[in-house]
Amino acid sequence: MILARFNAEAGLARALERFRAERIGPLQTYTPAPLQGEPATSPIPLIILIAGLTGATASFALQAWSYTVAYSFPIGGRPQFAWASFVPTLFENGVLVAIAAGFLSFLVINRLPRLYDPVDESAMLRRASRDGWFLQVATEEPELLDRALVLLRDLDPVHVEELAG
Amino acid sequence: MSDVPLGAIPVVDPRETIGSMTDRVSGVPLRTTGWRWWWMALVPSASLFALGLLAVGWSFYRGIRVWGNDWLVMWGFPILAYVWWIAIASGGTFVSAFFFLVRVEWRTSINRIAETMTLFAAVCAGIYPILHLGRPWLAYWLFPYPNTMTLWPQWKSPLLWDFMALFTYVVASVLFWYLGVMPDLATMRDRATRRTGQVLYGFFAMGFRGTGPQWRHLKATYGALAAIMAPLVVSVHSVVGLDFAGAATPGWHSTEYPPFFVFGALWSGLSTVMLLLLTLRRPLGLAPLITERHIQVLAKLMLTSSLCMSYAYILDAFEPFYSGDATERIQFLNRVFGGYAFVYWGMIVCNCLFPLVLCVRRVRASHLMLGIVAVGSIVGMWLERFNIVVISLQRTHLPSAWGRYVPAVFDWMIFVGTIGLFLTGFLLAVRLVPMVSMYEMRELLAEKGQA
Repeated sequence: MILARFNAEAGLARALERFRAERIGPLQTYTPAPLQGEPATSPIPLIILIAGLTGATASFALQAWSYTVAYSFPIGGRPQFAWASFVPTLFENGVLVAIAAGFLSFLVINRLPRLYDPVDESAMLRRASRDGWFLQVATEEPELLDRALVLLRDLDPVHVEELAG
Repeated sequence: MSDVPLGAIPVVDPRETIGSMTDRVSGVPLRTTGWRWWWMALVPSASLFALGLLAVGWSFYRGIRVWGNDWLVMWGFPILAYVWWIAIASGGTFVSAFFFLVRVEWRTSINRIAETMTLFAAVCAGIYPILHLGRPWLAYWLFPYPNTMTLWPQWKSPLLWDFMALFTYVVASVLFWYLGVMPDLATMRDRATRRTGQVLYGFFAMGFRGTGPQWRHLKATYGALAAIMAPLVVSVHSVVGLDFAGAATPGWHSTEYPPFFVFGALWSGLSTVMLLLLTLRRPLGLAPLITERHIQVLAKLMLTSSLCMSYAYILDAFEPFYSGDATERIQFLNRVFGGYAFVYWGMIVCNCLFPLVLCVRRVRASHLMLGIVAVGSIVGMWLERFNIVVISLQRTHLPSAWGRYVPAVFDWMIFVGTIGLFLTGFLLAVRLVPMVSMYEMRELLAEKGQA
């Protein structure tokens, strides 16, 4: 693989565009902050919504069933199916399931925890969490690697490194 | 600065870049010198915590009869301290979630401190109801689960709603905090020079490396969670209000309670954030990131929430007379002129009258005065909880049940113990975790062209 470091976000963005146009890849970026201008789609908000609604429905069902069937507790002739008083609990339960689902799906979709990755062998990648903007060309094909190196010459990276893996 | 309009004060020092900001923030937990003040704060805090543990141990051994709670004032210290803590916690979520959604730029460098405050205040709040159960080892009975007694919780009780709300709130606050802290732990892992630091930060960063997909999903998840946290925090404190409003006790039984409690949460929470910012920004070297702008915005928000409190207190005084209920009237007059009248008037001074000095620009410019108002707010809110929980229960519908509540020494010990727990936890977080959200600051700096 090849790892190239750029000084600024604009440099990385230009390199990304060129590499995509030349169809060299697979590409990966390592950046200190979210890269502007990249598509921001993620399935997680939808997962959160579905999980929240499921949790709230399940909570309502449990309350309704246990209060009317499993443990009927008549007080002063008031209705057993007192749906209005189930609302606070169903909201809180729905929120709990939604937030837990959001956090867990973030981990699952990103395949975290992932404590080791071949890219960690590069010492300079540590700058990615400070102010370094990195492009990784994750291929082992010699022909693609050569083309990538040629392309990088025009793109003015601060540093280029070739790594195994 | 008093002539400069608020928007003109920079939200971050113009000389900071993403690199220098990262060094500044991540350098704090990594530095090995300059921690004397920290030890000087930790030792008394941990001692208070130990004192609280001692009192909790004794309460377990002897039972909760060692407290001042009696058959007429059953709620006493544990519940008033619970409500006080959960209000402080809520303020942090308001800053971090609500102001994230409205995209104000001054939220970015203070949200970590606010969220960390929320975390430990929520923990302090959470242990009180469990201690108050008297037999805390049976706390799991609150969960709905199939059991041999075929019993189910009383779903119609606000106390159960409160358990559900608090449980959700603690879990949600931890996950929301951790999601935001993960990229910063990755920075710490990459910048740590010692092996222990690299391994521990690396473990908790879970392999976050700042790849394209990681950022994309992080932003989406964080935004969605913030959108849920904002209504959650309002619901949590409203449900705490319903704990009281749902009872037939005079002084509690009022539809005003849920919003009244949310106002109180804003007031005490913002004041605590203010106090933490004023105390921490110099020793942690964060003054270029937490500027006068943040402090002035918080000062104005404090004034606003104090005015909301005044509105709630006026309604609170109006209702007993408007309702025409003799017990409500007796209860209110006892509150204002009875044996604990100093609590009521102390609350009015700390929460309504004294904060009015914030109307004066020169006062807002003085950090000392802001600190005094903030401490006054925290004390005033404690007095308010005492006023609501204790004084109301002293004058219920049955005159034969009238009496006077006096807290026992163990009540005080457990209370200062939770303060010790809060401070110990917060200090440990300051020592180990970056106290400004670095990745959000990098985005902010990039927007300002300071990359």
